[in-house]
Order: sequence, then structure tokens, then C-alpha cells
Amino acid sequence: MSKEKTVGHSARDEILGKLKRIPKGAMLPRPAMPPLREISLDREQMVATFIEKLTREEGVVCRVSDGSEAVARLTEIAAQEDLRKVMVSTDTVIAPLGLPVWGRERGITVLTPGDFSTRDSFRDAVFDEVQAGITGVNYAVAESGTIVIVHDAHQPRLVSLAPILHIALIPTTRIVPTYEQAVEAIYGDTKDIPSHVTFTTGPSMTADIMGKPFKGMHGPRRLMVILIG
Amino acid sequence: MEIRTTLFNEIAGKEIRNTYARAFLKAMPAAIAARREAVMSSFPDPDAAQACGQAIRAEVVARLPELLEQFEQNAVARGAKVLWARDAHEANGIVLAIARERKAPYVTKGKSMVTEEMGLNDVLVEEGIEPFETDLGEFIAQQLKRPPFHIVGPAINIPVEEVCDLFMEKAGMEEPTTDPVELGYAARLFLRNKFHHVALGVTGVNMAVAETGTIVNLENEGNIRFNKSSPRTQVSIMSIEKVVPTMADAMHLTRLLSRNCTGQAISAYVSMDSGPKGGGEIDGPEELFIIIVDNGRSEIYADPTARQALRCIRCGGCLNLCPVYAKIGGYPYGWAYSGPMGQVLTPLLLGLDRAQDLYRACTLCGSCREVCPAGIDHPSLFLYYRAKDVEGDRRLRGKRRPWKEFGFFDLWSRAVAHSTLWNLGVRLVRPFVNRYSRGGVITTMGKYFEGWFRTRNLPAIAEKTFHERWKRLRRDTVSGDPDGRRGEP
Repeated sequence: MSKEKTVGHSARDEILGKLKRIPKGAMLPRPAMPPLREISLDREQMVATFIEKLTREEGVVCRVSDGSEAVARLTEIAAQEDLRKVMVSTDTVIAPLGLPVWGRERGITVLTPGDFSTRDSFRDAVFDEVQAGITGVNYAVAESGTIVIVHDAHQPRLVSLAPILHIALIPTTRIVPTYEQAVEAIYGDTKDIPSHVTFTTGPSMTADIMGKPFKGMHGPRRLMVILIG
Repeated sequence: MEIRTTLFNEIAGKEIRNTYARAFLKAMPAAIAARREAVMSSFPDPDAAQACGQAIRAEVVARLPELLEQFEQNAVARGAKVLWARDAHEANGIVLAIARERKAPYVTKGKSMVTEEMGLNDVLVEEGIEPFETDLGEFIAQQLKRPPFHIVGPAINIPVEEVCDLFMEKAGMEEPTTDPVELGYAARLFLRNKFHHVALGVTGVNMAVAETGTIVNLENEGNIRFNKSSPRTQVSIMSIEKVVPTMADAMHLTRLLSRNCTGQAISAYVSMDSGPKGGGEIDGPEELFIIIVDNGRSEIYADPTARQALRCIRCGGCLNLCPVYAKIGGYPYGWAYSGPMGQVLTPLLLGLDRAQDLYRACTLCGSCREVCPAGIDHPSLFLYYRAKDVEGDRRLRGKRRPWKEFGFFDLWSRAVAHSTLWNLGVRLVRPFVNRYSRGGVITTMGKYFEGWFRTRNLPAIAEKTFHERWKRLRRDTVSGDPDGRRGEP
């Protein structure tokens, strides 16, 4: 690495030096922009907008009143999709639901990231063994039907990405009108910034062959959302 | 990637006869424009939203060095390793050294225009490290060894039959199919295996946020997320102008980029990295390298007019509306960047002399300027390039013209400004010019005028010009020949 660093460093000074020698260009004042309409929505309107936008992106949304109903809904989905093995995150939405016990009672293998001692064995499971990834989310944005996940030890990146089906559980209290509220909450305290944050709007998609759009290019082919509350 | 910018006319001539690509290009602009319009209307004032994006990008260019320093400081504080590269060679060397040191047999790549500019794939292949482009279109273009046809759909023009043959040969597909969806799933399976075992992932960067040291990527397929989740090492490569001041700015540009690019409100995935994975995380990169590449941009920065090219956010909105692009597609532009975006960037990055036809292949209609969320004035830049090229500007590497051409246009500009000189000139050159006339049309006048006649014909100069006839007519009328026909051949 030592060679890289020396090259990198003198290049740095040279590039910045060249840029700084040049007088600053004119700066346009930031023009005023009317706030987005979503800002004035109340909670129920935000929920309705979120559902409308995500459904348009082919997300499948249902709404339940509490955690136990959410688990009941998961049972239905598991039966309907014939789920035998799933990976679940252990974030603050999922952990209280006790899904490992739920799985044992129903003959479904419920794996959590904590079950794996190495990243390679975790990778094998999440790529090849499980039929679905079940996660909570940190925020959901009404503006475009987007779910926002802050990744950490309890919320690994691949759970919501590698399995062909992603099931996301969202307390309606976590819905915000626009991206800015989520970003302010996540990045507002600059001392405590998470390493990885993702926005997801519908399943993975492409239209790269002849402009023909389809879902499930690399990530999940289907995204199911259970709104709680 | 082979640079073929000097073959613009040749390739355009061929592509314009490609009926398959033409049919696609004919349908595309209207479809994209309609989607864009629909989704722009979600802004209470779409024009104000565009203006706000333009102001953000103008500010970035104005404050470029301080924003880069702030970004570096914050990214390093989050644990990222930030390396700088003066040019493509240096940047490729850094990636190569990282890959070698980690003994990566292959790397997976998210779509990154700057790595195409650097020719990173060729360098990796030469050194025995196989790069796999993982964006579906980019994967196809890479395997076919073609430049991108469109920035968003690099292989969107390739017929399914050709994709089928390719996947049978290179992606382990077992049964032939011409269904785009089945083809996509075949690529999914093939690349999934690569993602599963990959040690090093390479991505580009859409935005680098100075305030937090965060890099932001937009995509639809999920391949960039895999590159940031599965391997132990992540290398993200950005050109210097990718920096933006704040997270709020990044959010507004995310809206504009998605809308102007594909007519989406937001791309399916947006991922943001602030340093490598934290302790206790079972996936994500243990080390995150961010390579900041200059590759000629600090030179561009020194030119106060050309500098605005650095505002570009690579949305491709200009391609979708360009009447020239709509006839010839992306190949004639000969390099990583096609359409008006390429016409703006390529001449600056390669030199005006190596991209002669790019900034001339334009009707100056201004559709690109109207749609640009970064506020680039493409037509004015093209005129500027043309002038600097003829003058032989040293910084922008203008070609300059031979003294004979200067002399000719000097005479020309005097002649056309004075009626007597013009009339005298016409009489003097007429016998010479009309020697080339074939049936009243001149299509060539020898090699000095080759360039001019390449796209134009000239009618032969009349035996008697209007002025000559008018003079004769008046004289004859006065001298008693009312028909004024005496002396006509």
C-alpha cells in the first residue's frame, strides 16, 4: 500500500493545487422552490400515498393493526408461497415478533444473521438456501413509495437483497412525507452516521434488453410490504 | 475501449442505414418524454425544481476544490481510504494494485462511466483479472465489445437473437430463447454466482456528499448494491466533479436525475456509503476505497467557459431529445459518452483535435439545453469549441487551420461584405468554379474544398447573374429595346 499512498498523495496536492489556482466562478443564488405537496399530508394521507406509489411500482402492500396480526399475515404468506426457509433481520421491528419460535411451530426454518459465525457461511445461506428475506425498515417515504433501511449488525445488507422475495414490515409511525425527513433523522447527527443506508422503491428491475421492462434482475423479483398500525 | 471519435462520419453513415436501431430510436424519444413530463409534474413547480438543480451544480463547480477537501476529510473520518489519481493510467494502477494485493481472481463492476473513460476493463484483462460488468446492458455491451449505445441502455439496440447467441456462448445459458425476460434471468443466474463469491467489487459514484463524506449510487437492478454488500473490498471511483455540498442537495439531485434519466420518480435503489461496514456487521466491505480521478478535468476547470461541462450529472436527458442522436444512436460518438453529453465532454477530455466532428454534428436546436437539469448551455459550448478549434487553442488542443484556409476565409469575409468586391469576385471565379459543374450542380472542387463539399452541393454560378441581367435590362430599356432581350443567348 505504501506505493499507492505516495502516488495518491502527490496527485492529491497537484489536483487540488491546480483547482485552487483558478479564481472562483460565479455562484448563482439558490432559487426558491415551492415545497413538495407531500409535506402537508397527515398520517392517513401519507399511508394512502405510500401505498398508491409503491403499488404502482409493483410492490404488494397490505395493512394490519398490530404485531400479532403482522405475524398472522406472515403465516398466510408463508403458506401461500410455500416458504420452508427464510432469513430474518433482527432489527427493532422484527426482533420483538419472535419469528424463530413462530417458525419452529410451523416447520419453517427461520435463520438470523446471528446464527452465522462467518460471512461466507452467511453468504451461502442468503444466496442459495433461503426463499425469502424478512426485514423491518427505518423509514418509509410517502413521496415515492420508498422504504429506507439503515444497515447495521441487526440489519445486514444482503437480507433485503439476495433472496428472490423481500418481505418488509413497516410500522405506519415510521412513514415520513419526503426523503428529507428520513435523511435529516439519519444524517442529522454527524458524529453518528451509519455505514450503509439504502432506499428501495419496488422490486429490482431492468429494461436493458430491447426496452422490455421486467422485475427481478439482480435483487428481489417481488417486494411485499406489511404496514403495521 | 477503443477510441473511435475520429470516425464519426463513417460510423454515422453506417448506423443511419441500420433499420433495426432506427426503428427503436424513432419510438424512444416520445415514450421517454411522456414519462418524464408525467413525473416532473409531481413537483409543484417543475421549472423551479430544475432551476434549483442547476444552481446546485453551478455551486459545485464554483466551490469545487473546497468541497473535495471537505468530502475527503469526512470520508476519511468515517474510515474510507481516499486516493487521488491524476489520470486514467494512475487510477487504473491503483485499482490493479488493490486487486492484486487481495489476490482477486475476478472483480464485479457496477456501471461506471469514468471506468469506461479510464479503460479499466482492458487493463484488468491484460493483467489476468477478469472484470464482469453486472448491469445487464453493460454486461451485454462488454461481451460484444461494443461502446454504450445509450448511457442508460448500453445495449438496448441489440436484437434478442444476438443476445441469445451471446448468452449461449458466454453466460452458460442452456436453452435458446428470444424472450427478453428469460434472457435477463439467464444473466441473473450467471452473475449471481459471481456476486456470491466475489472478493472485490467496483462501482462508480453518482454523488459524493461533502458534508458527510458519503457516496451515493442510483440504480434499478440491484447490481451496485451487491457490489457494496457481498465482497470484502469495495472500490468506488469518482471523477472530481461528482461532489455535492449537502445531503439535502443529494436528495434533490436524486429526484432530478431519476426523472430526467428514465422518467422515474426515483430509481429502484439508492445506496449510500459512509465508510466501510461497522464492527459486528456480517456483510458489507471491510475496506472502502474511494478513488478521485482528475483525468484532464482540472485543465477544463481552468477555462471559464468550458468549465460548465463539469456540471453534468450523466442523466442522459439530452440524448433522449437530441434529433441527431435520434438518427444515428450512440456508436458514432466513438467513446464512453454519447449524445450531446458526449459532444460536450469528449472534446474536452480527448482534445478538440480528436473529436472534430462531435461538436459540429449539431443543428444548435437547443433541445438538450432546455432539458438539462445541470444547466449546461450545450449549443453555446459547441460554438465555442468550433471557434477555439479553428484558432488552435492550446489548452483545449484546437487543431488550427492551414494558412490557406485562413487566407481564403479572410478574403471571403471581405468579399461578402462589399457589393462591388462580391460582383467582381463572382466574375473572376466563375470560369474556375463552373469547370466543376456537372449538369448545373457542383459536388466537388478538388481537395482544398473537400471538407465543405462533404455534406453540401453548390449550384453552378449562372452565366449571367441577376445583377448583370438587371444592368443590361435597364440599359436596353433606356436605349429603346423594351423587351430587353437583345444580347441574350
